[in-house]
Amino acid sequence: MVFQMNSKGEKAGINRKKSLFFWLVVFLAALFVMVGPYVLDRYTVNILIRSFLYAVAVLTVDVLWGYTGILTFGQSAFFGIGAYAAGLMFTHIGFGPGEALVAIILGVGVAMAVAWLVGWVSFWHRATPFYVAVITLVLPIIVVQLLYSNPQKLTGSSSGLVGFPSFFLSVEGWFWIAGGLVIIFTTIAWQFVNSNFGKVLIAIRENEDRCLYLGINTTRIKTGLLMAGAAIAAIAGYCYAGFTVVVAPEIAGFVFGTELVIYTALGGRGTLIGPVIGAIFIDLTSAYLSGNLPFVWKLIVGAIFVTVIVLLPQGVAPLIARWVRAVIDQFKKNSFGPKDSTPVQQLHSLEHNERTPQPKTDKAPLRIEGLSRNYGSLRVLSDITLEARGSEIVSIVGPNGAGKTTLMRCISNGFEPTGGRVWVNDVEVGRIAPHSVVKLGVGRSFQNTSLFASLTVGECLRLARFRLSRPSMFSYQTNLGLPEAALHILTATGLAEQLNEKVINLPHGLKRALELSMVLATEPTILLLDEPTAGLTKTERSLIGDILVNLARRDGLCILLIEHDLDFVRDISSRIVVLHQGKLLLDGTVEDVVSSDLVRAIYSGEQLAESVEGN
Amino acid sequence: MVALVLDIISSSAILFIISAGLLIIFGVMKILNFAHAGLLSVGGYTALTVTQLGWSPWLAAPMALLVGFFVGALIEQTVMRWLYARSLDAILAAWGLGMILVQLITITYGRQIQFVQTPLSGAITIFDETYSLYRLFLIVVAIALGVILTYIFKGTRLGLNTRAVIMNDSLAQALGINSAWVRFLSFSLGCALATMAGAFITPLASVDPNMGFSWLVSSFMIVLLSGASLASLAISALVLGGAQVLVSTFINPVAGGMTIVVLAAIILRIYPDGFSNE
Repeated sequence: MVFQMNSKGEKAGINRKKSLFFWLVVFLAALFVMVGPYVLDRYTVNILIRSFLYAVAVLTVDVLWGYTGILTFGQSAFFGIGAYAAGLMFTHIGFGPGEALVAIILGVGVAMAVAWLVGWVSFWHRATPFYVAVITLVLPIIVVQLLYSNPQKLTGSSSGLVGFPSFFLSVEGWFWIAGGLVIIFTTIAWQFVNSNFGKVLIAIRENEDRCLYLGINTTRIKTGLLMAGAAIAAIAGYCYAGFTVVVAPEIAGFVFGTELVIYTALGGRGTLIGPVIGAIFIDLTSAYLSGNLPFVWKLIVGAIFVTVIVLLPQGVAPLIARWVRAVIDQFKKNSFGPKDSTPVQQLHSLEHNERTPQPKTDKAPLRIEGLSRNYGSLRVLSDITLEARGSEIVSIVGPNGAGKTTLMRCISNGFEPTGGRVWVNDVEVGRIAPHSVVKLGVGRSFQNTSLFASLTVGECLRLARFRLSRPSMFSYQTNLGLPEAALHILTATGLAEQLNEKVINLPHGLKRALELSMVLATEPTILLLDEPTAGLTKTERSLIGDILVNLARRDGLCILLIEHDLDFVRDISSRIVVLHQGKLLLDGTVEDVVSSDLVRAIYSGEQLAESVEGN
Repeated sequence: MVALVLDIISSSAILFIISAGLLIIFGVMKILNFAHAGLLSVGGYTALTVTQLGWSPWLAAPMALLVGFFVGALIEQTVMRWLYARSLDAILAAWGLGMILVQLITITYGRQIQFVQTPLSGAITIFDETYSLYRLFLIVVAIALGVILTYIFKGTRLGLNTRAVIMNDSLAQALGINSAWVRFLSFSLGCALATMAGAFITPLASVDPNMGFSWLVSSFMIVLLSGASLASLAISALVLGGAQVLVSTFINPVAGGMTIVVLAAIILRIYPDGFSNE
């Protein structure tokens, strides 16, 4: 089964126009770097070398904050580590090719180790997004404190290290190196953020929880990004020390770290080119202006920064880009340039051998024993014992506040339960994060549709496959293999024709369908569905019902489902579980439950206390 | 020994005073006020101005409270209220505002270190130990602050409304509580407490435009550790302040300076709930 489509709607991935624009900028930048030293005055060339190296550090801020949403004030610390690696080595041991090599390896290595530590401290379950901002603010403060404390008179305290032997390079040489670094790292970052893998950064920024429940280990990805960013910033810092032959604690300090964020915000977060140009432009302007009016200049930058954050959160770059694109469009109308086109997305069903083998076990795939969940003194779930076998559709019903969603949360997130045990495919779920529970075979959909608004349908589906087929970091492929069931939903609902549509533009019904096919794309053996048909039309509902019955009968999935629509429940369930006030009241066949007086009493709210006690 | 105990209590009291305003904003708005450092500096320079004008140094803290409320109200109306839905942008804008405050101070007063008159000089002898009277006074201030804030939150209509907004903003609005007004008041009050704290700490050290930054990360960590309650703020301040004094006394002051941050990070990594009692 192969679908191809070419949407006329939203653009996705690297479309030609965007890509054309990027390579045009790279070409112009390369030209500028080559001729720069010959046409600019000596002072400007010197300042620009510094600005270029700052721009490299700014790139890392943009990937971390602009794309992934990790606000970091601490990239200066890594820049400083790289710079001090060079400064310390060349001052105390001397300069030579071997020493230079060892210094950069040490600088990058230490920076990455520190970044790993920052990640370990910052990214824990339920940590607020501010937390990493605070930790990365603390980091440069600690680094500067260590430099000031001047252990064994190594770091030269507040005056730093000056005039150590360094590379014998002309200013032109440094200009080409620094400019070359900017171009190379910008290109690498561009390829990376526009690759299939790069979409996961945006997904983390928009909805990290959903990523976790698709089995994506976001902590590892975020820590990896921090480490890569640290390495790149350290390389820039190393070059800075090599060029200026001065390292002082300020270059590791939080003021510089903050400036990197300001350049990113003003240039335009999440655009790579914007922050780079922002850094170069502002640093150059500061060099000319701040000599005359240092404090006023900082005041002006601060005021512009706040204004941009409030009124123009995407920075200045998108405004300029829009203008440039308009010019390109105008140009193209008058010529026979390539027609603008979005990449063709192709879906195919997975070959049998590509499918993840289902675990073979005689025991029920889902077993719950004595499960409870308290919030402080409030018992939301108490002592739930339940089994669900393969090929079974178990509906969980009960009035609002009965603990239905909490039950699903406790199955899909090892940190949730306060008591009791859960086994998934005969493996006990300990205190593990949701992405590890997905690995055991649990797929979960949410009561409120939980997707990635600014990604396209195709990109969302690829994210759902992230765990099982790791996407490429440096290319954008357009074909994607999906399990039969996921594909079936996509074709039946017409979503397969809208792969390049952004999720935000989809109607409610299609969003629900997309979420369901994403969950199925993770190839779960246990499916937890929280009101999958809420807000759907009758036709959509019966479509979903048929699909679920098929999944259970043909693929042997174990499906748990929360539903308020009792007709729907009666039609498809093989068993019904009634929850009330956190307790399991009834577990039986459809007939048992439907004919039960107890259930009628709960739903109508009549003489509840008596009937429960009478039970 | 007596001196050590008094050091621990008074250092914790100072941390409590400094973090109280931050806690209120964090509790109500769920954002860390990154302008906090700038506000502490504003408080310090208000104290400086009061003494330069020849007024009684006792007026420094009340004046700082007024100035801070005004500055906070201005910031809330012009910037923060547009950003409550974008929390990362809110802290960035606050950070920018803090920088603006510091630059304004630098332009007006210059960069040099200056000294502020203390309202209470001298020392008192307790259990054969002479101890700074002003540090003891700050212990009283911290306790009074805790009592007054607890009264406002637990004993007044405004406090009730605020707690409703903290628990469930949309429900509170549906019940007719003007949550924009609650946010405005709590943000302004949080800023006012920050500047007042700045005025209270100036007699202990000198003032310079960046004086607030040395307190910033400690107060952030204390607030993150406490969640949103004054009682847990007191506990956090006591534990971390105590650890800081002990490390500074027995190991070295540089390590002492980093104790709060490192200890808080470790506690949060192991017990994500920190000292909050929710």
